Amino acid sequence: MIKLEGVSKIFKGDVVALKNATAEIQRGEFVFLVGPSGSGKSTFIRLLNREEIADEGRIMVAGKDLSSLSSWKVPYLRRNIGYIFQDYKLLPKKTVYENVAFGLEVIGRPRQVIRQQVPAILELVGLARKAERLPDELSGGEKQRVSIARAFVNRPMILLADEPTGNLDPGTSVGIMRLLDRINRSGTTVVMATHDRGVVDTMRRRVIELDRGVITRDESRGVYE
Amino acid sequence: MLYRLWYYVRETLVSLWRNLSLTLAAILTVAISLSLVGASLLIREGAARATAQFQEGVEFIVFMVADASPEQDAAIRNVLDSSPAVSGYTYVDKAAAYEEFQRLFADKPELIESVTPAVMPPSYRIVPANPDAGNVAEMARQFGEQPGVKEVATATEAIRQIEDFSTRVSQALLVAAVVLVGVSTLLILNTVFTAIGARRQEIEVMKLVGATNWFIRIPFMLEGTIHGLAGAALAIPALYVVDSQVLAYFQESDAVPLFRGFAVPDGFVWDTSIWLLVIGGLVGMIGSAVAVTRFTDV
Ligand SMILES: Nc1ncnc2c1ncn2[C@@H]1O[C@H](COP(=O)(O)OP(=O)(O)OP(=O)(O)O)[C@@H](O)[C@H]1O
Ligand SMILES: [Mg+2]
Repeated sequence: MIKLEGVSKIFKGDVVALKNATAEIQRGEFVFLVGPSGSGKSTFIRLLNREEIADEGRIMVAGKDLSSLSSWKVPYLRRNIGYIFQDYKLLPKKTVYENVAFGLEVIGRPRQVIRQQVPAILELVGLARKAERLPDELSGGEKQRVSIARAFVNRPMILLADEPTGNLDPGTSVGIMRLLDRINRSGTTVVMATHDRGVVDTMRRRVIELDRGVITRDESRGVYE
Repeated sequence: MLYRLWYYVRETLVSLWRNLSLTLAAILTVAISLSLVGASLLIREGAARATAQFQEGVEFIVFMVADASPEQDAAIRNVLDSSPAVSGYTYVDKAAAYEEFQRLFADKPELIESVTPAVMPPSYRIVPANPDAGNVAEMARQFGEQPGVKEVATATEAIRQIEDFSTRVSQALLVAAVVLVGVSTLLILNTVFTAIGARRQEIEVMKLVGATNWFIRIPFMLEGTIHGLAGAALAIPALYVVDSQVLAYFQESDAVPLFRGFAVPDGFVWDTSIWLLVIGGLVGMIGSAVAVTRFTDV
């Protein structure tokens, strides 16, 4: 599903964000990316979504070679990839329902599909009764559920998560991780960058550790350190 | 498909509304600049028609009576061909005169109906070797005394003044218009840029979930195009005001002799309106296209 071969990313000013990284992630895997701040976790994720382009090496995502993917095809690649963030990136003037529907609307999905799928996904993330709330009227955990709903409503093959529990207390984080686990068990490949030791240690899934852009550890059923 | 169309329209309207003050400024600037473009074109056309018979150095016209005999005609022609004071002339026969009349009065069918080629006076349009006013007047007097000549019309000082004046006015308007069209383009660019800025978050999300570039851009381009078209639409009434007030003013002044009206046919005003819409739409599209390609790229 995802394959990196000797991938390097160097930002201007000789900042090495990723160096000669090689890894393969199978369909349906759940992978944690760990490492100190600045070690390249976000860069790793952004490369998979083609927000960044690798300077060296080859990246395959969902059968596509990203270095030779023409830019007009990028949106279609992204329709197969859900993406969630530490800061949720919800639109403040839209309701929960509208935020989720927006993700389908702007990729041209027909209205009846939207009417059908949005309530279903809100049910899945446990927010069916808060569909008409605005983001400001939600807790952090609820906001993250909305963002997961938006990322997953199109049933992507891959879900990328950049510190999704970074702003949440441990109890709320557990709920979010349950949800991601459930999504993963339905067949979606999940790649999640995190600093959250508790989450990594209880989930016991594959762990890839980065240090200054270099992969220093890759264990199936690993722990944070 | 219809749903997507509705999406574009809705997003465009919302954006126009949110940006109301800049939107109005952009529309008004387009309206003013296109009014100037239109006025300049109308005045030029009006002047060209008013002085149509006096172009390319023609200083006076010898109109023959409609039933001039071939001998009378030959006598005039003989003088024209042999006189060193005449550097050139063209002969306009009845048919050509009628044709010209039809063209100049295309918007006054009742006038055209009232004449036939047979009653149109044939004429000689004469370019003198020496265009000095005194000389022209003297030559005109001499031709006027020839048998078979109905009348001699000279390019009076008044006609020259009209020509000069309208050329200067229309050029000044055109320069101002070109500058303002540039300003309008920048203003539209800026308005669309502001609209893009106001929706940065939405655009970011759209890119993340895989909306295509065109899907993101089209509402903004529509917005700019609407600015341009709305401005042009406001400029069109101004065009009719120029036609009915300014040009009419020239028409009523006695400066223009014979049937040379300082008027443009309604068809020309109509064509000019279409052009204004085209220019307005293009200005809007170009301004917004620059804004979207520069500020919404992946
Ligand atoms: N757009 C950019 N331009 C320049 N340098 C960048 C850019 N993005 C990241 N970097 C640099 O690349 C390195 C890796 O950054 P990255 O964001 O991937 O780290 P991270 O592991 O996600 O850190 P954190 O845990 O703090 O989120 C850092 O040194 C960072 O400063
Ligand atoms: Mg990061």
